[in-house]
Amino acid sequence: MSTVVIIGGGHNGLTAAFYLATAGLNPLVLEQSDIVGGGAITTEIHPGFRGPALTHRASVRADIAADMQLTRHGLAFIDGPVEAFAPALDGPPVVVYADERRTVEALGRVHAGDAGAFPLYRSAIDAVSGALAPLVASPAPDINHLNPHDLWHLLLAARRFRALGRRDAYRLLRWGPMPVADLVSEWFASDALRALVAAPAISGTMFGPRSAGSGLVLLLREAGARLAERPRQVRGGPGALTAAMAAAARAAGAEIQTGVRVERVLVAGGRVAGVVAGGREMTAGAVVSAVDPKTTFLRLVEPEHLAPDFLARIRNYRAAGAIAKVNLALSALPAFAAPSEVLSGRIHLGPGLDYLERAFDHAKYGELSGEPWLDVAIPTILDPGLAPEGAHVLSAYVHYAPYRLRGGEWAAEKRPLLDRCLATLDRFAPGIARLVVAADVITPAELETRHLFHGGHIFHGELALDQLFSLRPVPGAGRYRSPLGGLYLCGAGTHPGGFMSGGSGRMAAREAAKDLGA
Amino acid sequence: MAAVYDAIVIGGGHNGLTAAAYLARAGRTVLVLERRHVLGGAAVTEEVFKGFHFSVCSYVVSLLRPEIIRELDLPRHGLEILPLDGTFTPMPDGNYLWRVNDHARTRREIARHSPVDAEAYEDYGRAMVDMGRFVKPILTMLPPDPASLRIDELRKLLFLARRFRRLSAEDQYTQVQLLTMSAVDFLDRWFETDVLKATMAASGIIGTFLGVRSPGTAYVLLHHYMGEIDGAFRSWGLPRGGTGAISNAIAQAAREAGVEIRTEAAVSGILVRDHAARGVVLENGDEIHASLVVSSVDPRLTFLKFVDTGMLPRDFADDVRRYKFRGSSGKVNLALDALPDFTCLPGPGPHLRGAISISPSVDYMERAYDAAKYGRFSRRPYIDVVIPSLTDPSVAPPGRHVMSCFVQYAPYHLTEGTWDEKRDEFGDAVVDTLAEHAPNLRRIILHRQVVTPLDLEREWGLSEGNIFQGELTLEQLFFLRPAPGWAQYATPIRQLYMCGSATHPGGGVMGAPGRNAAMRILQDTRS
Repeated sequence: MSTVVIIGGGHNGLTAAFYLATAGLNPLVLEQSDIVGGGAITTEIHPGFRGPALTHRASVRADIAADMQLTRHGLAFIDGPVEAFAPALDGPPVVVYADERRTVEALGRVHAGDAGAFPLYRSAIDAVSGALAPLVASPAPDINHLNPHDLWHLLLAARRFRALGRRDAYRLLRWGPMPVADLVSEWFASDALRALVAAPAISGTMFGPRSAGSGLVLLLREAGARLAERPRQVRGGPGALTAAMAAAARAAGAEIQTGVRVERVLVAGGRVAGVVAGGREMTAGAVVSAVDPKTTFLRLVEPEHLAPDFLARIRNYRAAGAIAKVNLALSALPAFAAPSEVLSGRIHLGPGLDYLERAFDHAKYGELSGEPWLDVAIPTILDPGLAPEGAHVLSAYVHYAPYRLRGGEWAAEKRPLLDRCLATLDRFAPGIARLVVAADVITPAELETRHLFHGGHIFHGELALDQLFSLRPVPGAGRYRSPLGGLYLCGAGTHPGGFMSGGSGRMAAREAAKDLGA
Repeated sequence: MAAVYDAIVIGGGHNGLTAAAYLARAGRTVLVLERRHVLGGAAVTEEVFKGFHFSVCSYVVSLLRPEIIRELDLPRHGLEILPLDGTFTPMPDGNYLWRVNDHARTRREIARHSPVDAEAYEDYGRAMVDMGRFVKPILTMLPPDPASLRIDELRKLLFLARRFRRLSAEDQYTQVQLLTMSAVDFLDRWFETDVLKATMAASGIIGTFLGVRSPGTAYVLLHHYMGEIDGAFRSWGLPRGGTGAISNAIAQAAREAGVEIRTEAAVSGILVRDHAARGVVLENGDEIHASLVVSSVDPRLTFLKFVDTGMLPRDFADDVRRYKFRGSSGKVNLALDALPDFTCLPGPGPHLRGAISISPSVDYMERAYDAAKYGRFSRRPYIDVVIPSLTDPSVAPPGRHVMSCFVQYAPYHLTEGTWDEKRDEFGDAVVDTLAEHAPNLRRIILHRQVVTPLDLEREWGLSEGNIFQGELTLEQLFFLRPAPGWAQYATPIRQLYMCGSATHPGGGVMGAPGRNAAMRILQDTRS
C-alpha cells in the first residue's frame, strides 16, 4: 500500500497520523524539527530550565484523547486552584478561581455587581457556545453541495440553536459580530475584569478589543472548551502532550521521522505523487499538510499545478501575526502582589480595555507596542521539576508585535522587545529583571523561520469571520481537500481553526481516508 | 377617549413624513407632530446666516428609494435632484486624486497613480454593482425573525438562503467578505494606491464609531453602490434648495393625501392603556388620541423617555438600553466670500463641484479614529466637503458660497471637557486641516456654524449625536435592528410602531424605514 505523507508533526499532524493509521493507511509524518510537537513543545530555555517554547497551556478534544489513549501514553494534566489572575496598576487584582463560588466571593470584595453578573455571564456563554459546539466538531458544510452527512450536522446545529430559546439564540447572533469590548462591557463594570475576560478573544490575532468579530473568537474558544477541557497545564510542559500523541500514533502503526524538512510536493498527472524531503524524492499516494495554507500552496506546490484564481485567494488569505514570545529562566519567583497559588493559572497583564486597545494601536502602524499586554504563565509553580529548586520558568506571549514591521527588521528589535516585556513585568512584579538567568525571545519573524508559521501567525491565519467555517482557509479548500488531487490540509488553517483540539487533524484524516478507500 | 386620528406620527423627519404619506394614501387620518419649527429632522435646510441656506445635517442624497420618489410623485411636489459629480482628494505632497462619473477619465486618473488599480477599478465596480443587486430586495423586506418557529419567518429565511445560493461561488465569497471584513482589508484585495483606498474606505466609516481597519466597515462600502438617481447606480446628488427640499416634497405629498402636520408640537409622552398606545401627550399638556402611534424618533427617546419603562418587558428594556448610538461625527458649515483655492489643483475648476475628501492616506484615517477611541476629537479629521452653491446658486447670495463639512471623528463622549466648551476648538481643527490644503480658506470665511454631536442630540433629537439613530454595525442591523425580535416595526406595546432610521434598513436619507413601517401597519390594520 502506498504511503500517506503528513507534512509537519504538530498536534494536528500527529492526530491525523493516528487516525490514518487506525484506518489501515500507511502514514509517514515528516517533521522538520528534531522533535515533534510544532507549537506545543517543551524546550530547554537554559541548562536546568525547561518550559513551553510557545503555547503554555494545551487542550485536546475529549473524544480524541480517549481514542488515542493519551493518558496511557503519558499525558497528565495538572490543575491549580486558579484559572486567571489580573493584577491592576492601582486597585485590587481580579482572580478567577476554578471554583466559581470562590470567584464570586473574591469579586464581591471588589465589585458587588460584577460578582453577581459573573455566574450569569458564564452560564450564558456556556449555553451560547454550546450551540456552536456541533459546528466545531464536524467539517464545515458546503452550502452549495450539501451531502447527507453535512445536512445531518447542520440539522443538529439548527436543533441546538432552536433549543437555545429566543434570548440565547439572539445572543449568539448578536455576539458573534460584536467587538469583544462591547460584549464584556454589557456584563461587567470593572475594567480590570472586562480586560481579563476579553483577552482570550484577541490573543494571537490582529484584533484589538474593539475589533468587530472578536466576539465570535471568544465563542469559538468557549465552544472548543465544551468539547475539550479548558486549556490546562501539561505535566512536563506542552511537549508531553504531543509526545503522547506521537507515541499513540506510532502504536497505531504510523511512522514518524524528525529532522526531515519537506521541500516540495511532487505532482504527476494532475495528482500528488510524492514529496521531496531532505533532498530526496519519496513517493506517496496522498499528502496531508499540517503546515499553514500559505506555506502549503505558495511554497510547497509549484504554482502551475494550481489555478490562478485559487492562488490569488491564498495570497489574499490574511495570516500576518502580531505576537511574540518571551521565555525567561528566573532564579526565584517574581514578586507579584499575590501568593504563589494565585499565580498558578493564566496571569493577565493588561489592566483595562483601553490598555489593550492602545497596545493594539501600534500594531496597526507596524510598530511594537510601547506598553505591550502580556499573557503569562509560570508553569514551575505546579510543576517544580521543570527548573532547579526554588527557580522558575516564566512564559509570556507579548502583544502586539506585528510581523510586518514598518521601517525595521525584527532582528534589530529583539532587544527592545525583551526590554518592553521586562518593563511591563516590572510594573506588576517589581525587580523581576534581577531574577533573569536567561531569556529566549521569539520574534514574529522567528515564528516563521524557526516554527514555520507563515507570517508568524500562530493560528495559521487570522480568525476573521470571512476566514472561518467553510471559508477556512479559502473557498475551494474549506473541507480539508484542496484543488490538487491527493493533497489535504489538516492544520489550524482549516476549520475549526486555531485553538488546540486535534479536531482539524481528525476530520482531515477522516476525509482523506474516505477518498483513499480505507 | 375617542380616537381622533387613525395614526399619530412622532417626528417630522423624512421617515416620519414618508410613513404618514403612505398611511394617508391608504385612507387613514394621520397627524404628524414635529418638535422643531421646521420639518425634516436631519434632512433639513435652514437659513443659518442671512442669505446662506445650509443643509445643516445631512447634505447629499443617493439612497432615497426610487419607488418612494415615484409613488409619492416627489418631482411634482418640488423635488429636483442635481448631479454632484466626482470626489476630489487633495494630498499633502501636492498630488491629488480626482474621480468623476466619466469612466474613461477616472480610469486615466487612477492610472496616473497605478495602472494596475485602473484595471482593478473596473472589476471592482462591476462586482459591487452585482453585490448591490443582491442586497437591494432585502432593503424593502420585513426582516425575518430567526429565533421564531413560525412558518412565514422560516420561509423568509429560506428565501434569503436560496437567493444566496443562486449567487456564483465567487460572489458568495465576496458577499461574506463585504459583510465581515474591514473596508481597508477588503480594498486591499483590489487596490494598491493608498489614497484611493483611504478615500473609498471613508464611506465605510461614516456615522459609525469604527475605523477604516475595523472589521464590519466593508459592508457600508456597498451601501454606497446601492444608491441610485434616475436609475444610475453609484451617483450622488444635491436636492435643489438643500436636503430640506426632500422633506418638504414628502411633506407636500403627505399633505395632499390629507395628512395634518403640526410643527413646534413637542411630544412628551405616549399614552398607553392596557398595554396599547392610545395617543400622545404634548409638552404643553395637550393630549391627542389616536388608534395607533408611529414613532420616527430613536428607541431611546421612544421607550425610555416617552413610555413608562415599567410597561416594557425587561429583556426588551435591557436591549434598548444596550442599543449603541455613540455618535462620532459633527458638521461645520461655512459661509464663504469666495471659493477655496487648493494648492494641489489651483483655481475654481470643476473639481470643486463634487465632494472634496480629506482622506490622504489609510493611516491618516486610522489615526483620526484612534483619537476618538479615547474620547478626543480628531485634530486631523476626515472631512467630506461639498460646496452646494456651485451646483445650486439659489442657496447663497450672488458670488458667495456655502460650504458643508462633514467631520469625523467627533465622539459624543469626551474624556475631557464638554462639547460646548470644545466647540470652537473643534471648528478650528477643521478649518486648520482644510487650510493646509486650501490656504486661502481662513480669509474667505464670513460665518461659521459648528454642529457638535451634542447639538445633534439637543437640537435634532439624535441620541448621542448618532446621525443614523444608532450604529450601523452587524449586531444592530437587519433582524437585530433596533432590538432582537423587534425588527419588524412593531413594538412590545400594541399599536405602537417604529419607523425611523433605528429600524431596518437603517440610516441615510433613504425613506425605506418609513415606507416599510407603513406597509407593516397597513398589513396589521387591514379591516
